[in-house]
Amino acid sequence: MIRVENLWKKFGRFDALHGLSFDVPDGSAFALIGANGAGKTTTIKILMNILEPTRGSATLLAVDSRKISPRELRQIGYVSENQDMPSRLTVEEYVAYLRPFYPTWDRDLEASIARQLRLPLERRIGDLSHGMRLKMALMCALPYRPKLLILDEPFSGLDPLVRDEFMEGLLEQAGEMTILISSHELGEIDGVATYVAFLDEGQLLFQESMSDLTGRFREVHVTLEIEAARPAQAPKEWLEMRALGNVLTFVDTRFDENGLSERIRARIEGVRGIDAEPMALRSIFTALARAARDGRT
Amino acid sequence: MSERQEEMVWHIFKKDWKLLWVFVITVASLHWISAFIIFKLGLFGESAMLEMLAEAVPMLSFFASMFLIAAIVHVEAIPGVRQDWLVRPIRRENLLLEKFLFVVLMVEGPIFAANLFQGLANGFSLRSTLLSATSYVIFLLFFLVLPLFAFASVTRNMTEAFIFGCGCTFILGVFLTLGDYVNGSAHGTLIAVTHSGVGWIGEVFRFALVAIAAAMILGLQYFRRRTATARFLVIAFGLLLLASQFLPWKSAFGIEQRLSPKPAAGARTVMRFDPARGKFKSPSGLVPSSENVQRHRGEDSAEVFLPLQVTGVRNDAILLTDRVEVQVIGQDRRIVYHGIGDSLEVARQGPNPAEEPVYQQIAVPMSVYHRAKDQAVEVRLNYSLTLFGLAGSYAIPALDGDERMPEWGWCQTKMNEAGTAVELHCMEPRKGPICGTAFIENASTGVRNPARSVCRSDYSPYGYHPLPDSLVRFGTNLPFRDPSGLAKFPVDGPQLPQSRIVIRVYEPEDHFTRALTIPEIKLKDWEAQ
Repeated sequence: MIRVENLWKKFGRFDALHGLSFDVPDGSAFALIGANGAGKTTTIKILMNILEPTRGSATLLAVDSRKISPRELRQIGYVSENQDMPSRLTVEEYVAYLRPFYPTWDRDLEASIARQLRLPLERRIGDLSHGMRLKMALMCALPYRPKLLILDEPFSGLDPLVRDEFMEGLLEQAGEMTILISSHELGEIDGVATYVAFLDEGQLLFQESMSDLTGRFREVHVTLEIEAARPAQAPKEWLEMRALGNVLTFVDTRFDENGLSERIRARIEGVRGIDAEPMALRSIFTALARAARDGRT
Repeated sequence: MSERQEEMVWHIFKKDWKLLWVFVITVASLHWISAFIIFKLGLFGESAMLEMLAEAVPMLSFFASMFLIAAIVHVEAIPGVRQDWLVRPIRRENLLLEKFLFVVLMVEGPIFAANLFQGLANGFSLRSTLLSATSYVIFLLFFLVLPLFAFASVTRNMTEAFIFGCGCTFILGVFLTLGDYVNGSAHGTLIAVTHSGVGWIGEVFRFALVAIAAAMILGLQYFRRRTATARFLVIAFGLLLLASQFLPWKSAFGIEQRLSPKPAAGARTVMRFDPARGKFKSPSGLVPSSENVQRHRGEDSAEVFLPLQVTGVRNDAILLTDRVEVQVIGQDRRIVYHGIGDSLEVARQGPNPAEEPVYQQIAVPMSVYHRAKDQAVEVRLNYSLTLFGLAGSYAIPALDGDERMPEWGWCQTKMNEAGTAVELHCMEPRKGPICGTAFIENASTGVRNPARSVCRSDYSPYGYHPLPDSLVRFGTNLPFRDPSGLAKFPVDGPQLPQSRIVIRVYEPEDHFTRALTIPEIKLKDWEAQ
């Protein structure tokens, strides 16, 4: 559905993207994760042909992003935290304005989304709160049943209640559509994303399915007979190693239940017990981000 | 364009109307108020308050239109990355067409309506009013709408447009100042076409540039969103427009020559140096100094008057100089002065007109004069001339006259407040006459006062003035009494009730050039006496 290859973007002397490459499979919910300034929004703007890449290419719906035409845009829904809509029109007027541009616009679906998101249709867009505007942007992106939905930081600044309403509205209509969602809040994509890519300073650190990612990460606690110390030659896949009393803790990024005990005992002597706990997404990303910062990935 | 595309254009149009109708109505109202004020002012403009409003309101409505054009474009701004319309399946050509239509209908439409009102309310025919209003909005399209449309498309919002506009105005100011300085240093020989009779050729050239620039900039912006390149083009074309004031005179006048309505009419015109006429005698007798110092183009200059004989101008014709290029060449064959001489007018009116002496006045910079005044120099005069022929003659009562005259327009006459002259004020819905003479004539005796010429150099095939509207207003004062008592007029106050104003309309017939070389003269010999 989306293919990004060796994408570069320069703003003056600043490189916002350094040879970014990733693929978004059809039907997936792909999360683009990274801190502020990592290059998520720039990537999305290039995909939508709002910005032009300095080098490389981005393809969506089998069309180069620079050549996106109204035909492709009719199949793409786009929601951004900072989307400028005509503030003097009411929600209803703007939705009515958009309808004729989309031959597949479903008015029943539109009504149902409006109800579900509890949007005040008669209110001017300029008078809407930030959360309401995001909900409105979502409402303007779903009724034509796009094949691809691109959400750029959709939860930014939303209170939990609105966020839940937004997510409910989104998930209910998701169906077969491919979703690309960017966020710096990991909790937001938990339970939504099926694939994840991690961006740091315009570079992709990894791209993986969510199940593989959560499956291969474990927080491992090794209880020793003596006082714990960091082993002299720890493998690269063990991150955030720390010793407290006789317990050595680390994050195993290549977790394999069958060979774990042997691998640990081969490197550490006096192992009394091993306990491997699944990790929350947030913890996985924190560990990865720190490793990236320290140049260990 | 398909029916579906047409529908989408009008669909966007209706959305813009919803967003901007208050602004559109406000600006339209300003234009209509302005038209009403000018209409109420009438031909003589006797109300000081209305006169003041007639100056300010058209200007205000003009500026409001400029802001409205920017606002229309900024509804779907091109620069920027946050606009919702960028991610909607809107065809760019539909959007561009809609913006153009909206600007034309909502900015030019009310102006057109105001001009129709002006023409019809002032009693002009529907046809001539429609023609003048249409040509006026076409002129505004190139003069105002397209440049601003293109300019607004490279800015994101009104603040950015204002800042960028201020920058451009600054560049404009610097360029004009420099241009003026350079032209002054060249004694006015560089900026020749602007403000001359062939100024319209420069104007058409600029309109063509504006059309090309607008097409390029709007194409770049609406189809490619290349704001940086488009901004560069705005500046580049802006400078090119400014540079167009240096359009060479010979090329422009050459075009005008080819457009002469009667190309051979001036063939018999001969100009020659006629020293037998003697020195120019100042009518006031107040030019005794041998170095009659004048300020000319910012520098001290000495006035030299060369006597000429102009023959071959038939009766009921006027010969006007469009430009006189002067070269003074020293004994070493080097050009000591290259500048522009003063305009001449040779009029042959009536059955047996007396031949008036003609002097070519030249303002020679004082530094040059001091160096060359005692030398024998050669003076070369290159004339660009226009011959006007009588096209019509009209009469209107000298007091409280009210006549509509074809080729001249609607005129009224009245005595001025001081009781010394008859005021003749006229209005025309088209370009207006470019040359005419008017004099007071006693209808019963045939005695007449000296004629006043109201000729202006403007050979454009259309009228081009941005303010206040499509009507041309012109007039003259015809004195019949000198309060000092020095001058006596054949037709004086008591004769006015049985007198009329005779207006003679002249139309250009031929544009041609004449070169005159005066081999050996001393400049000091030809100062005024």
